Amino acid sequence: MASRYDRAITVFSPDGHLFQVEYAQEAVKKGSTAVGIRGANIVVLGVEKKSVAKLQDERTVRKICALDDHVCMAFAVSTAFTGLTADARVVINRARVECQSHKLTVEDPVTVEYITRFIATLKQKYTQSNGRRPFGISALIVGFDDDGIPRLYQTDPSGTYHAWKANAIGRSAKTVREFLEKNYTEDAIANDNEAIKLAIRALLEVVQSGGKNIELAIIRRNQPLKMFSAKEIELQVTEIEKEKEEAEKKKSKKIA
Amino acid sequence: MAATFFGEVVKAPCRAGTEDEEEEEEERRETPEDREVRRQLAGKREVRLLRRQTKTSLEVSLLEKYPCSKFIIAIGNNAVAFLSSFVMNSGVWEEVGCAKLWNEWCRTTDTTHLSPTEAFCVFYHLKSNPSVFLCQCSCYVAEDQQYQWLEKVFGSCPRKNMQVTILTCRHVTDYKTSESTSSLHSPFLKALKTQNFKEPPCCSLLEQPNIVHDLPAAVMSYCQVWKIPAVLYLCYTDVMKLDLITVEAFKPLLSSRSLKGLVKNIPQSTEILKKLMTTNEIQSNIYT
Repeated sequence: MASRYDRAITVFSPDGHLFQVEYAQEAVKKGSTAVGIRGANIVVLGVEKKSVAKLQDERTVRKICALDDHVCMAFAVSTAFTGLTADARVVINRARVECQSHKLTVEDPVTVEYITRFIATLKQKYTQSNGRRPFGISALIVGFDDDGIPRLYQTDPSGTYHAWKANAIGRSAKTVREFLEKNYTEDAIANDNEAIKLAIRALLEVVQSGGKNIELAIIRRNQPLKMFSAKEIELQVTEIEKEKEEAEKKKSKKIA
Repeated sequence: MAATFFGEVVKAPCRAGTEDEEEEEEERRETPEDREVRRQLAGKREVRLLRRQTKTSLEVSLLEKYPCSKFIIAIGNNAVAFLSSFVMNSGVWEEVGCAKLWNEWCRTTDTTHLSPTEAFCVFYHLKSNPSVFLCQCSCYVAEDQQYQWLEKVFGSCPRKNMQVTILTCRHVTDYKTSESTSSLHSPFLKALKTQNFKEPPCCSLLEQPNIVHDLPAAVMSYCQVWKIPAVLYLCYTDVMKLDLITVEAFKPLLSSRSLKGLVKNIPQSTEILKKLMTTNEIQSNIYT
């Protein structure tokens, strides 16, 4: 049945599916995992780095991008996307232009919700035009608004967006989301460092070769985007492994 | 002939069959060139089973020449990676022969000079117990070639006292179920067995209306017809390329009777598998 209604984006199937949009969501699952966590005073974005070819310049293979950086650096908005690289580049460019256009028009930086809505509306337009296909990307958008409240939003190829406390997108997103559901507690995110650790622990569930394949970015209130260096990530990973060992020792003592 | 709503007349397929005159005309139209093209195409698509040392074709089928008590077949890159890391590293396996074939899915265009590295289906037997056979099949065997493959490997009168185990993968979107697909934990294993396979499989059985396709289906049908005990382990995954998590989904088989005694060092095998992943990682920049 699906094959008769899945060639054109503008055709609904008899049971109400837009197959092209659903297939676009499959394309997102081909990208590597990205996780976003909203802490009390911090937002964390962690992504699984794809291994780069030997001759490829690593700097050009970034999954976490800044969308805007306020002049006084009161806040910054950044995003992690997963799915088709080329589609992501196009959407990010449009979002960046919109951030600046908004700033020039109303003299205020965009709110995180505004730019998320802009990206989601853009994606939705491509699910309703003839001759175009949907964008094959999902994005996690984080930042602080003027009121100092941290925000995390997720968009998907259908053009929907929702606010989340913590979410994951890409390959094995379900496993990561289940881990977050179990481990995201108010205690876990009260402390900035704990929130960072939670993001790394969530990624370690699915990343194949440990810390060296993880990229991490954080935004603290009133500070610009900070990308973690490989060393800093390794430090966090070693701490997490130590904590795991101690927890296991305690467990075995209890049993014994 | 039928009229549509827009007034156009379209030729509707007629189930009464075509008229006799039309059929005769079509047959007369076949020229010697058509026959020659057909013959060449059939030759190109021939499945050839070659002996290892001499690279000559085997006169009889593989299992007629080498008696077999256990036959493990891996079809698809993830199944092949699983057997390579866990089974082939735990013993000394000797290559017995290979099957070479060409179809539209093959990347190479030259069918007569396939290099040794392009052998698509390689057959091994365990040196310490030569009746244990392994087949690593990483190519797609087309529908018209499956019968030839079966003839050349199993022969037309197979022995019934062997056990066949097949490992393969399928994309999870092919899995039909009444529960919501978002609650499926892929990758997961499903089993299908022939009537003569009496042992309990290592995972739940494949439910209806799901079906098995391609070469695994051909082998299972053959085994069912010839009353050979056979079991197929099908891994439904959402990553069809070589993937660590998909390969590890086959791990429950390590405790099965089919692979018992063939797997020795599991931690070392896991290391070998990880290395295999990194060396085979294709640098694709389309997805990020």
